[in-house]
Amino acid sequence: MENSATLEITIISAEDLRLSHRPLKKNAFVTVRSTSTLNDGGASSTSLDRDGGSYPHWNEKLKVALPASARSISVEVCCKTGTGVRLVAVAAIPVSDFCEPAGYLHFLSYRLRERDGERNGIINLSVRMEGAGPFGRRVQRPLAAPPTMWAKGEERRNYGVAVGHPVGYGYRVY
Amino acid sequence: MSKSHHLSLSASKLRNLDVLSKSDPMAVIYAKKLDGMLEELGRTEVIMNTLNPVWITKFTINYHFEIVQPLVFRVYDIDTKYHNTSVKMLKLNEQDYLGEASCTLSEIVTKRDRSLTLKLKYQNRPADAHLGTITVHAEETVASRAAVEMILRCSRLENKDVFSKSDPFLRISRIVESGISIPICKTEVINNNLNPVWKPVTLTMQQFGSKENPLIIECFDFNANGKHELLGELQGSMAELEKLSREKIGAHFYVPSSVRQGHKKMLKGQLFVDNFCEKIQYSFLDYISNGFELNFMVAVDFTASNGNPRSPDSLHYIDPSGRLNSYQQAIVGVGEVLQFYDTDKCFPAWGFGGRMSDGSVSHCFNLNGSLDECEVVGVEGIMSSYAMALHNVMLAGPTLFGPVINKAAAIASKSLSHSHNKYFVLLIITDGVITDAVETKDAIVKASDLPLSILIVGVGGADFKQMEILDADNGKRLESSTGRIATRDIVQFVPMREMQGRQTSIVQSLLEELPGQFLTYMRCRDIKPIFAHPAATSACQPN
Repeated sequence: MENSATLEITIISAEDLRLSHRPLKKNAFVTVRSTSTLNDGGASSTSLDRDGGSYPHWNEKLKVALPASARSISVEVCCKTGTGVRLVAVAAIPVSDFCEPAGYLHFLSYRLRERDGERNGIINLSVRMEGAGPFGRRVQRPLAAPPTMWAKGEERRNYGVAVGHPVGYGYRVY
Repeated sequence: MSKSHHLSLSASKLRNLDVLSKSDPMAVIYAKKLDGMLEELGRTEVIMNTLNPVWITKFTINYHFEIVQPLVFRVYDIDTKYHNTSVKMLKLNEQDYLGEASCTLSEIVTKRDRSLTLKLKYQNRPADAHLGTITVHAEETVASRAAVEMILRCSRLENKDVFSKSDPFLRISRIVESGISIPICKTEVINNNLNPVWKPVTLTMQQFGSKENPLIIECFDFNANGKHELLGELQGSMAELEKLSREKIGAHFYVPSSVRQGHKKMLKGQLFVDNFCEKIQYSFLDYISNGFELNFMVAVDFTASNGNPRSPDSLHYIDPSGRLNSYQQAIVGVGEVLQFYDTDKCFPAWGFGGRMSDGSVSHCFNLNGSLDECEVVGVEGIMSSYAMALHNVMLAGPTLFGPVINKAAAIASKSLSHSHNKYFVLLIITDGVITDAVETKDAIVKASDLPLSILIVGVGGADFKQMEILDADNGKRLESSTGRIATRDIVQFVPMREMQGRQTSIVQSLLEELPGQFLTYMRCRDIKPIFAHPAATSACQPN
């Protein structure tokens, strides 16, 4: 059983949702899924938003287990219609966007896209990760070449061309 | 951002100039203007026979975050023969001068107890312990921090648009005694929706008066030409809106009747209120005076487009006559305001786009020449490091913001592991348009969730149109290359050239959004000023 952390996700709202090229009328809900190659992780859903139309508000807290090997979680906006459930749009959130600083309450927003890649609104949520552990694949970027001290002219260290990208507080997964 | 304050003065251990009794002191407050001239703001009353006066007269002054407001206080001993003259008529040069002190308004209001004690001295002479001290105390004129938050929505609004649906927004106005209505807030516009739900609205008691005060809520259909059509209006107090929320019922809109003059027609459209709640809304000064601070950081453009620093045409030319170049003006202008909000006055300072002595180009090098310490002390420290760096670093390029923004974000992120009371402000001064638009946007989007604001000054004659996209004032949220969207607008961009000859200075335009950005960050995380003292929760009557 790989160790996992718990994600406390509050799905706040979504903006400008469309279904079949028209503004969404009602009954939107959000499902958060964490998957990894090893196991299915878990999924958790909000309740339906009845009045918001294409700008639904939920403000609902969901708890999702995050397997250690998971690199992203998926946030799916769906709509309950008379005939069933339809997927409206999806956003994939890389774990690197919320794993640091530890325990910090992150307020995040993402572009939602339909299955065919077309843009369909924005999702607003907050995430707090409980439980430490190495997550995703961490690419440690080397510290930028320290600047040469010009006050001491005799100390010349040659670092070659400066990378010019000091360590960010997140990381890029390639 | 401006807050009205009352200043009250007292002094202690004043010098005694009278022979048979004690001094009869009076104090005068001056505002020091940009040209150094003093403008009298007011005088206290004369208190007889005391060396420790506590004056009753209060002075009203507006605190502005974005400008430095130097004040001068002078104390005089009023001669007996003038004791029946009104203080306004007294000629100060006929009175006995007891000393003076000066400070800035921000030094007073950022203190925990909003009081500052200064040693009195004679003009142009060093402080002298024998002259005593003067204490200035500032009190907010309206200290009520009560606010309400609610979600407003409508149902069955009328459709005024031909090919689509109405684009409604609400305007809430307060009716004052004379019957005039004064708008206090407007929601955003929701496109194409007859059952809109707007973002939560927060109104302070300062805005709506009291819960019983009559309000008018108007719903308009947004029109690009500015002529918004009225979809309906209704009247009610804050208490009635609270009732709608509690009982989960709606209130009908009305329009003036076209048939019967003076009458109103009830519409099908209704207004609903959800999640009405009262809360305490702390002000920017509440945070600052309770240990929160703004940490100033600066990044200077060392790209070749600035011109050779030795040439007087260069944007980096250090004028021996002392006239400040554009970079120095921006550093001093912003630094002088922000230094009062930074307790240790240690400012990280970087350059970008310069060629180091080993030949490599760095996009984030420490301005002080140090290998691992990026901080300098005080605005003077930034100025001297900048001048020294111009001698040691060759201008190169290209103009990249990504590295310095990421470095500032790293510092902000690191501070979160031990405290939540630091907010960081990065000032970037540049003469050119960035070449790493994608990386810069990515860096800004990532930083938008951190306690960081970015101020960008464009100097020189370049066309900065492209840079205005970074400053999301037009409402378009920045989107990164990975699909992440900025949580808040943390960038303020001002081109220096456009500000010449304007009423508002460039520093004011840069800084005016800062308190709001700071408060948005603190409030959405529910971070309260640490030691909220009892006075913060009581409502005061406005004078």
